[in-house]
Amino acid sequence: MKIRALFARSLRSTWYLFAGLRTALPALLGVCLLPLALLLAFGVPGLPWVAGRIRVLTNIERRRAAKVLGYPIREPSTPVAADPYRQYFALMRSASVWRDIAWMIVHGFLGLLIGVLSVEVWIGIPWDLALPFWWWTVRPGTLGAGAQIYTWPEAIAYPLLMTVFLTALQLWGQPQLARFQGWYARRLLGPTRRTELAARVESLTETRAQALEAHGAELRRIERDLHDGTQAQLVSAALRLGLADQRFDADPGGARELMLDARSGIEHALTELRTVIRGIHPPILSDRGLAGAVRALAAGRPVPVTVDMPEPDRRCPAAVEAAAYFVVAEALTNVAKHSGAAHAWVSLRHDGPYLTVRIRDDGTGGADPNLGSGLAGIRRRVAALDGVTRIDSRTDGTGTNVEVELPCGL
Amino acid sequence: MRLVIAEDNVLLREGLQLLLTTVGHEVVAVAGSGPEVVPTLLEHRPDAAILDVRLPPGFRDEGLRAAIQARKVLPGLPILVLSQYVEETYAAELLAEGAAGIGYLLKDRVARVSEFQEALERVAAGGTALDPEVVSQLLTRRDPLDSLTPREREVLGLMAQGLDNGTIAATLVITERSVSKHVGNIFGKLGLPPDEAGDRRVRAVLAYLEAGD
Repeated sequence: MKIRALFARSLRSTWYLFAGLRTALPALLGVCLLPLALLLAFGVPGLPWVAGRIRVLTNIERRRAAKVLGYPIREPSTPVAADPYRQYFALMRSASVWRDIAWMIVHGFLGLLIGVLSVEVWIGIPWDLALPFWWWTVRPGTLGAGAQIYTWPEAIAYPLLMTVFLTALQLWGQPQLARFQGWYARRLLGPTRRTELAARVESLTETRAQALEAHGAELRRIERDLHDGTQAQLVSAALRLGLADQRFDADPGGARELMLDARSGIEHALTELRTVIRGIHPPILSDRGLAGAVRALAAGRPVPVTVDMPEPDRRCPAAVEAAAYFVVAEALTNVAKHSGAAHAWVSLRHDGPYLTVRIRDDGTGGADPNLGSGLAGIRRRVAALDGVTRIDSRTDGTGTNVEVELPCGL
Repeated sequence: MRLVIAEDNVLLREGLQLLLTTVGHEVVAVAGSGPEVVPTLLEHRPDAAILDVRLPPGFRDEGLRAAIQARKVLPGLPILVLSQYVEETYAAELLAEGAAGIGYLLKDRVARVSEFQEALERVAAGGTALDPEVVSQLLTRRDPLDSLTPREREVLGLMAQGLDNGTIAATLVITERSVSKHVGNIFGKLGLPPDEAGDRRVRAVLAYLEAGD
């Protein structure tokens, strides 16, 4: 049983190494063409093309290496610049381009050698075992790698010894070789710590820019709400009061009418203002903290809501808590309006530097963030804080699952 | 009426004082922060207290906490809680020990002077005044309410606000007899004891609405 597993592993490794020819042969070709390629690369438009071809090949190897490493090698980012000249120099300076080339050279030779040898050794075993049957048909002393066969005992012992030796070699060596091939692929094709950091900085810069953009959009939305709603209402009320003042002596009845209008205008403005304030930072959040506020939210629902939220050991920045509250409120509103659910679950967790909010229901699912403004609002609000929104709402009866991850300061 | 008010915002405090004295009440003392409320009440023993929810030092829900504490220290003291916003949860907390002599209103309501005055007097007389916004929050919650006609829902909402049949009739411009008929129907449909009146009726209605599912 154990032997069988060993054989299976060894054969798998052999196949892996043999399949390595698929990248090794093009790599060798690439090595042969390298002088030409470098010449071509001196031309400004040539280099991206050359680097691109090499990247296609190395990407195949990156995916292939998953078989021995257990995971595909991550592709290091290639510098991208706006104009061809900058692109040219960026590529020239890019470590990942040169490392791709280094791998090509190593794999072009080693990959070919190992790929061919590992298969050849297996073929050598039946070849040796067949020796006793025909060694005597050729001139004595012409056969055998490493040993010449002159006598029958030699002809029997040598193949047996070789078979044992080669089998042992293959069982032990093939996985080692496969691992070795994976190792040098990972070393040369994987992102270095430096490029990894650079890539992370790049993605952070990008999400930060998006977050700032989304944040700006939020501010503009609030400004518009105040400007078009509250402010306009108050102006109109002030105007009515002014008119009432003018009309007061001549037409007290009309003046009174205007004053009452002004009052209802102001009441409207106050109602709208409350809505805007709730949108910015719900007052209950200041009063009761996130836990208390979410419990209050969950309490007033037509669909029963189970809240799972350990007393938080720390508070997140106000904007983050407000967003989390908003997400829960919006999602629960959706549950009540659209899901047809009998129950909903809300959970809030501090996961390292993140605050994870999850709202789940047992309804019909099928929520589309592109259709409902509620889910789009959640996305927008979360994006403004550089958070992540995942919405899973299949119609297979698993209900809707909204998960939001918000960076919680630190 | 002799009143104690707790309000830290000068503008609002003066406005409220002006309003209350204009309609003939006397503001005997003003508390400027949460911790001052109960001692002030103990010292002056007013007929009723008007408290703002958000007070120093924390500017959170000190006024609400003070109200709950005051209910324990001075049982039966009518308290009207005013706030810039209303939360159903707060209403539930205020009403936990009984709805008699409790009011919870948006500050906006002071603009309708006579209605505000009525609410204050109702609370002082041991009744209840619950803001329509709280009531509407409560009313959005239960499915069995679908069995009510729109008119019955309206009547239920007004009952929950703490209004008596006479006021409900006046508000909806219908006769008091048809109000009692609606009330009977509502209580029948919701399975509530029909003989409740006054603050016990409000409690029954609120308890039903707050029970959730």
